[in-house]
Amino acid sequence: MQTRRQFIVSGGKLVAAGAAAAAVGPAVITRDARAAGSLKILQWSHFVPAYDKWFDPFAKEWGSKHGLEVTVDHVGFADVVPRATAEVAAQSGHDIHMFLGLASAFEEHVIDLGDVVANLEKKHGKQVELARRSTYNPTTKKQFALSDMWVPDPGNYHKEVWTKIGMPSGPATYDDLVKAAPEIKKVAPQMQIPIGIGLSQDIDSNMAVRNILWCHGGSIQDKDGNVVLNSPETLAALEYTKKLYSVGMTQAVLSWNAASNNQAFNAQETAYILNSISAYRTAQDNKLPVIENYYFTPALKGPKATLASEHVMSGYVVWKFSKNQDAAKEFLTALVDASRESMLASKLYNFPSFYGAAAEAGTPVAKRAESGAAWIAAQCNKDPFGSTPPDKLALLAKALPWSTNLGYPGYGNPAEGEIFDTYVITDMFAKAATGALSPRDALAEANTRAKQIFDKWRQKKMVPGGGKDK
Amino acid sequence: MSAVTTVPAVPSGQTIRRSDRRLGVLMLAPAVLYITLLVAVPFLLALFLSLTNSSAGSLQFAFVGLTNFKNVIASPVFQRALGNTFVFTFVSQLLVLVLGNILARALMRQFRGKAIARFLILMPWAAPISLATLGWLWIFDSTFSVINWVLKVVGWLGTGQWYYWLGDTTLGMVAIITIHVWRMLPFSTVILLAGLTSIPTEVREAAAIDGAGMWARIFQVEIPMMRPILTVAVLFGVVFTFTDMSVVYLLTRGGPYNSTHVLASLAFQDGVLGGDVGRGASVAIFLVPVLLVLAIFMLRTSRRAEVV
Repeated sequence: MQTRRQFIVSGGKLVAAGAAAAAVGPAVITRDARAAGSLKILQWSHFVPAYDKWFDPFAKEWGSKHGLEVTVDHVGFADVVPRATAEVAAQSGHDIHMFLGLASAFEEHVIDLGDVVANLEKKHGKQVELARRSTYNPTTKKQFALSDMWVPDPGNYHKEVWTKIGMPSGPATYDDLVKAAPEIKKVAPQMQIPIGIGLSQDIDSNMAVRNILWCHGGSIQDKDGNVVLNSPETLAALEYTKKLYSVGMTQAVLSWNAASNNQAFNAQETAYILNSISAYRTAQDNKLPVIENYYFTPALKGPKATLASEHVMSGYVVWKFSKNQDAAKEFLTALVDASRESMLASKLYNFPSFYGAAAEAGTPVAKRAESGAAWIAAQCNKDPFGSTPPDKLALLAKALPWSTNLGYPGYGNPAEGEIFDTYVITDMFAKAATGALSPRDALAEANTRAKQIFDKWRQKKMVPGGGKDK
Repeated sequence: MSAVTTVPAVPSGQTIRRSDRRLGVLMLAPAVLYITLLVAVPFLLALFLSLTNSSAGSLQFAFVGLTNFKNVIASPVFQRALGNTFVFTFVSQLLVLVLGNILARALMRQFRGKAIARFLILMPWAAPISLATLGWLWIFDSTFSVINWVLKVVGWLGTGQWYYWLGDTTLGMVAIITIHVWRMLPFSTVILLAGLTSIPTEVREAAAIDGAGMWARIFQVEIPMMRPILTVAVLFGVVFTFTDMSVVYLLTRGGPYNSTHVLASLAFQDGVLGGDVGRGASVAIFLVPVLLVLAIFMLRTSRRAEVV
């Protein structure tokens, strides 16, 4: 006869054995599955689909030349971080993982790519500063990621409408938006949203509100990593947005996702958005009526600065658990070397993070950045993808001086990344703009959260500052 | 002549034989294993992580006591999400119950095209929620909402009037609850239909002879008789809804300005997207007390109803 205790003990042993099998099983399977001579890459699904048609064969061809079987898996941009989280937890997955923005939170689990960057800089010259500030942690002195491309974030304006209100070149300052909005309502009453700057929980809004913040002299952190969000400049940015919202925007902008501003502009439901050229390429490809009025402006001038965030940028990491780290490094080097092809494959969406990689062959290292910039300008000045007029994209060639990184004026550290991913700043702007909170209260709420996040990362010794937090 | 089988008498004191015991353990093991690995271990892990500063990109963490809970409780976003979770759960379940009853009663009657009607009613239950929500996303789109266009055409919305379904806090919750009700309704209808058909016809007839009208029949005869199955359906729906994040995440992503989050979606945003696993776990832990009470209630009800 078996007592209840014996019965439970027998069952418990069975459970323990099962648990052990479940725990060990995946590790064994994972090791077996990592065949030598293979390289697995996780890549986003590019906003310009033509790029993926170039990237996948490029990677496979590179692999066959190096005796490696290369697998490329694409995920939507919103799944890049959750997939990374899952792979870190499992300590298994792809060798190379592409982040679309900051990979800094994963620094502990990636290898140092300092040698790769050093070699590339030796070959092509310096990378652009915004790429360095998004992939290097000065606190830990680790090059945790490598950027092969960044994307400018110009203003997109509807030429006909802006011409009708006497601004044929579109807005030049943030004040212009406030002045223009009531006029746009008069000349284009059919447009639902005169000024289409997103204030929602999405990537484009996240960039847009940072532009407003920086141009009014505010920022989340200073250059040394102190939290300085609580400032009169931030308050001014919030007051400005409240004003702009009341004269030129609707609640629609509070709900936008990454595609919404593209769709609104392409449907001629708004006269101004902040976006890369992907929406424009969609309008071109689909021969939409908006195309003849689709024009661009550089970053708008604010009271304190003229700045725009990079729209997106790559941050390739190589996981520590990768068994093919050397091959991964070689592939990333080859990808940077192919910057010209990459830019053309993306229809001028991607801009090289190493301008020198787009230089004429044989150019000395000291002159490569200049040569690359000239080649980039040549593409933008005469768009090979059929813009009318051909120099419609010319301003993109001059985008670098007004483009900056997440975390400006500091580095794109993990605290900045977490604030970005949890929409602390967009929520602050949205609450202030709609009157859900007063600008002062919205700022106080966001500042408390920002400081909590920075403090947490400082405890992990991955973020500097703290002594001069406001 | 029918064969008569005699069952050997079990000697007093002997409960189960050794081979039966082994079989018992073997048959119990999958359930115990499942509960241990997929419920107990994650729960204990979540409890542990909520007391640490664990982040998604790191396997190292430090013990921070109740800091995460203190920060979370003080957060207006969390407070809102907590309230939303109750509103989302109870409003949607109330609607599901009322509409499910109406549908179930309609389906009890004979009419032409009943098979097609049943098929269409069951469709939302079978459709993948991600696909369905994408369809709803267009229906509720703030710029291109088909509902608004229809309302405009029929004259409900005048010039300059527009419903920003996903850009307004209240309308956002209305949209979320609408989709969830649409999704849960088939299941509820099927359960209630089963309950209604199990009521003997004689009982209904007796009530009618006694002069009970429609409302008296429903509230004094049918609902009391259906109570056990009704309770199980409601409790299942409440637990399912209370822990669900898919509609919120796919439709509003918690917006506008984090005002439509429920606890599950906020935990996902903080813990997975934001990478603050400790904070995300502490948000998720707040689901536990409510779920515990519901689970106990559910088990008691089930036992009383002899469903299990």
